[in-house]
Amino acid sequence: MSDTTSTGPRRTLRQRLHLPRLGVLFGTVWLGGLTILTLLANHVPAAVPFIRYYDTKVKVNGKVKKYGFGPGLDAWFGTGKSAEDIFARCIYGAKLTLLIGIGATIIGLVVGAVIGVLSGYFRGWTDRIAGITTDSLMSIPPLLLSLVLVLRLDDLKEQYSWMGWISRPWQLSLTLGLVSVAPFARIVRAQTMVLREREFVTAARSLGASRSRIIMRELMPNLVPAMVTVAFTGLGILIAAEAGLAFLGMGVEQPHTWGKMIDIARDDIEKAWWATAFPCLMLFLTVLSFNLLGDELARRFDIREAAV
Amino acid sequence: MSPTTQAASRDTDAPLLELTDVATHFRTPRGLVRAVDGVSFTLERGKSLGIVGESGSGKTILSRSIMGLLPTHGTVRSGSIRYAGREIGNLGRKEMRSVWGKEMAMIFQDPMTSLNPLMKIGDQIAEPLRIHLKMNKVDAWATARKLLQDVRIPEPDRRLHQYPHELSGGMRQRVMIAISMACGPTALFADEPTTALDVTVQAQILDLLAEQRRERNMSVVLVTHDLGVVAGHTDEIAVMYGGKLVEKASTRRLFAAMKMPYTEALLASIPKMSDASHTRLAVIPGRPPDLVNPTQGCRFAARCPYAQDRCRAEEPPLTSTADDPDHSYACWYPVGSPEYHETRARLASTTNTVEAA
Repeated sequence: MSDTTSTGPRRTLRQRLHLPRLGVLFGTVWLGGLTILTLLANHVPAAVPFIRYYDTKVKVNGKVKKYGFGPGLDAWFGTGKSAEDIFARCIYGAKLTLLIGIGATIIGLVVGAVIGVLSGYFRGWTDRIAGITTDSLMSIPPLLLSLVLVLRLDDLKEQYSWMGWISRPWQLSLTLGLVSVAPFARIVRAQTMVLREREFVTAARSLGASRSRIIMRELMPNLVPAMVTVAFTGLGILIAAEAGLAFLGMGVEQPHTWGKMIDIARDDIEKAWWATAFPCLMLFLTVLSFNLLGDELARRFDIREAAV
Repeated sequence: MSPTTQAASRDTDAPLLELTDVATHFRTPRGLVRAVDGVSFTLERGKSLGIVGESGSGKTILSRSIMGLLPTHGTVRSGSIRYAGREIGNLGRKEMRSVWGKEMAMIFQDPMTSLNPLMKIGDQIAEPLRIHLKMNKVDAWATARKLLQDVRIPEPDRRLHQYPHELSGGMRQRVMIAISMACGPTALFADEPTTALDVTVQAQILDLLAEQRRERNMSVVLVTHDLGVVAGHTDEIAVMYGGKLVEKASTRRLFAAMKMPYTEALLASIPKMSDASHTRLAVIPGRPPDLVNPTQGCRFAARCPYAQDRCRAEEPPLTSTADDPDHSYACWYPVGSPEYHETRARLASTTNTVEAA
């Protein structure tokens, strides 16, 4: 822990002080802060008095005015079309934005991991069928696929009462989850194929461990680092994808996610750039944070970045 | 001794392991690789056998064939493997599971990779006990502790709760031995168990294996490329070359009167303490044989200094020596034959003339 022991190349100040990398620090602070703020704003508004309520209109001289304020002290990120506070909306919207992204990642990762582990472990026919399935999924443009799926789920929801729980956020999570199954499955499969040749798996076999035991006890725990890593990178991508869908009109009506905010304000970008720019910035920094953390995890766990 | 079950195999009179014409071939894009090509031998219970050969001689594949641990895709197996009188060569995965661990177990070359990095040592030893012997967790951990003591690991209580990365290489190999012996197998396969370890630890591990073998009346098959490793720790030695058994004898006999020039060359390639320093190491010239298109005749002929025309044309069968039926070899002009001495004298004179010139 001291400088006297290190004889290698000179260590930077950051290394000497044992600080994390700048990117990691930023990602952690950003995501942590955002999560705390959005949870407080949504559930304990009294704790964050500096954030206006979702529906509060910021009036100019007592009158509701479209795009009344630019960014400044009155409203940090300016006000929007119906005089709402963009900053407050960004914070409220973060919850749903993150939830849809997390939901989609979990769905994609769970399904993808099952497919990946099975095809990587059993190979042969299982692998071939899984490969054909994932490849066909990948061959359809993801944007098109998700657009069609969201609309289709809309219809299904109308038709069958038991599907009533599939609200728009669920539709988006399911759709984006399905789209991300193939890349997740590929990575998990590749990792499984590396692991299954490792000696400790053969050793477990030579002791009479069953297949399910090998998968659950030997392979799965060792796959967790890889899955966490791709989950982070995937989360960033899926949040951006959700924004893309919202931009195309497949957004959630209430509360607005960042993508929806961009969608609403984009026509007036010449009059009020702030109403579009700040949600974009939030989106950008959040995706960046997930990517930075994902990269760091990949470095730590020594996982080569495959195509996500 | 730790509480181990008496495996069913201990009640029969048949030899523990009886291999007849065992062959394992792999289908590859290059053609059929004859990794193991017609190997026969028997192993009595409680005895230890060393399988020696260079890389690619088929020794590892042979041990994995017996264990049934080879991939099923593209593998062609034939011949008969009888374990305690019961044919196991054609058993499926399900049936083999009752053999693995309880009857036969295996130790691998690299103790760094053969333990699951994310499981506690205790869990890794306890798991086979819980599956095969249906022990409860408390008993299994108590047995695991006993096993760690048996393999001479100090502070077993602390070690049980540690992860593999907290242990040294030698320690991990001891843990591997403990795991493989947990369910009291009657045959233990050790595939280059000491290759990844340094020399002092090597000797300790080999002594430990020998000690456990005597104590538990196990048979041990020691697979290695190092004649020095098997010398003091086996009853019998089988030398493999190009997928075939080329010589087999009791250890004492093999070192005293080896017949196969390959065995001789293998022994000559071990550095000796008595040599002056900077003595050039003896090497076996040439490359290991191509297992896809084996040459006609003896497979070692291309690299053998004593090879004659007959060696290149006809394959020598595995025959027993006149004075010791347990000593068999596959060579037309074995070490000690008149032809051998003749060639040797000729080789010696040519080197002398070269040196004189």
